[in-house]
Amino acid sequence: MENGAPSQARPFVTAGAAVLGVFVLIVVIGIGSVAGIYNRLVTLDQAVQSQWAQVENVYQRRADLIPNLVATVKGAASFEKSTYVAVAEARAKVGQVNVSGVTVPNDPTTFQKYAAAQDGLTSALSRLIAVSENYPDLKATQNFSDLQAQLEGAENRIAVERMRYNEAAQAFNATRDSFPTVIVASFFGTHFAEKAYFQSQPGAQTPPKVGF
Amino acid sequence: MRWSARATVHVLAILGALLATSPPALGQTIPPPPTAWVTDSADLLSPQTADGLNDELRSYERRTGHQILVYIAPTTGGVPIEDWAVSAFARWKVGRKGLDDGLVLFIFPRDHTVRIEVGYGLEPKVPDARAAEILRNTIEPGLRAGEADRAVTAGVAQIIVLAGNPPGARAEPSGDEAAPAPLSPIDLIAIGILLLIALAVAARSPWLALYLLVNIVGGRGGGVSGGGGFSGGGGRSGGGGASGRW
Repeated sequence: MENGAPSQARPFVTAGAAVLGVFVLIVVIGIGSVAGIYNRLVTLDQAVQSQWAQVENVYQRRADLIPNLVATVKGAASFEKSTYVAVAEARAKVGQVNVSGVTVPNDPTTFQKYAAAQDGLTSALSRLIAVSENYPDLKATQNFSDLQAQLEGAENRIAVERMRYNEAAQAFNATRDSFPTVIVASFFGTHFAEKAYFQSQPGAQTPPKVGF
Repeated sequence: MRWSARATVHVLAILGALLATSPPALGQTIPPPPTAWVTDSADLLSPQTADGLNDELRSYERRTGHQILVYIAPTTGGVPIEDWAVSAFARWKVGRKGLDDGLVLFIFPRDHTVRIEVGYGLEPKVPDARAAEILRNTIEPGLRAGEADRAVTAGVAQIIVLAGNPPGARAEPSGDEAAPAPLSPIDLIAIGILLLIALAVAARSPWLALYLLVNIVGGRGGGVSGGGGFSGGGGRSGGGGASGRW
């Protein structure tokens, strides 16, 4: 009809063209929707990745404070050695988590290892700060109070960026797991894997696991 | 084409806003944006001091563009001051859009807590250690001694020195149109992707086009209500600053 076929008619050709037209239309709409879904996932994925970069940033910010902190408390007379040794060890453990070559939010195993190592450092540091209460001379120095303020700032930034990461991951997962996006996401294997979450606030007490 | 680019920016803004929203429980306890530079619903400051500080901070913002606020309320209602501060900062959009060069001094007399929350843009000028020093050496002792007027005035003066007080510096006009956010490569890529989606959608899938259109209209409404008040349009802070108790 659209190509102005003569009215004396070749019905098969007309019907065939119509079917073909509908088919092409469906394919085109299908591709368009898949592309739309794909691009939405990409956008949300980007948000998670950039928020993850922020998380790594603020953890790095904290890690950068540690050499100076350890040196400062070492200098204080008879500072309890085990506390700063524990901090140094916890920091080394963070370094041992191999994050190169993996997209950490997409890899729950690496993610949990990383988070556990960072939480270990958090508790070692908070123990060191608690112990420093027993050393008024140390606490009175400008250097130590600066470090303490920087450490508190770093911990607070970590809490904020972790929370924002979880929000971004939640936004991604909610879209990814909805229908029909979940079908499109599964075409791409681990590329659009569900994002891992941080379990609890850093420094929050985790309830002890009871074994049977 | 121009319209599409604009639309995609709106879509991005919506996505950003969705990601930036605070958890609902906390969101409900945060009051609407303040309407002046100094807000004191706890009557901690004398009216003269509050007015004087307000004038000073207003003229400071005119000169430098940095939005520095003092917010005093009786209590956070049991919310940790750090969480309260970062949520309020985001909700009030303190500082200029794209620059996030705002700072808020929060004081909660009933909780005996105080915090300086620093926007991303002022972090290099107001490092945590210096913010903590102002709290520790000036504001907390003053509040402890019951001299709130002196403590807050001196604290704000020190904050202004840190944030930079160039004599006769001219601020760029702080209108929304005048200071567009600089676009990072990631923004450009995202805009490009969304632009392609928009084109593909408009050409091929009217339902999605309708959906996008609804989003765009929604974004417009949101933008108008957000920009109508005192908000500077910034609001991104990453928990920088310092907290204290007295």
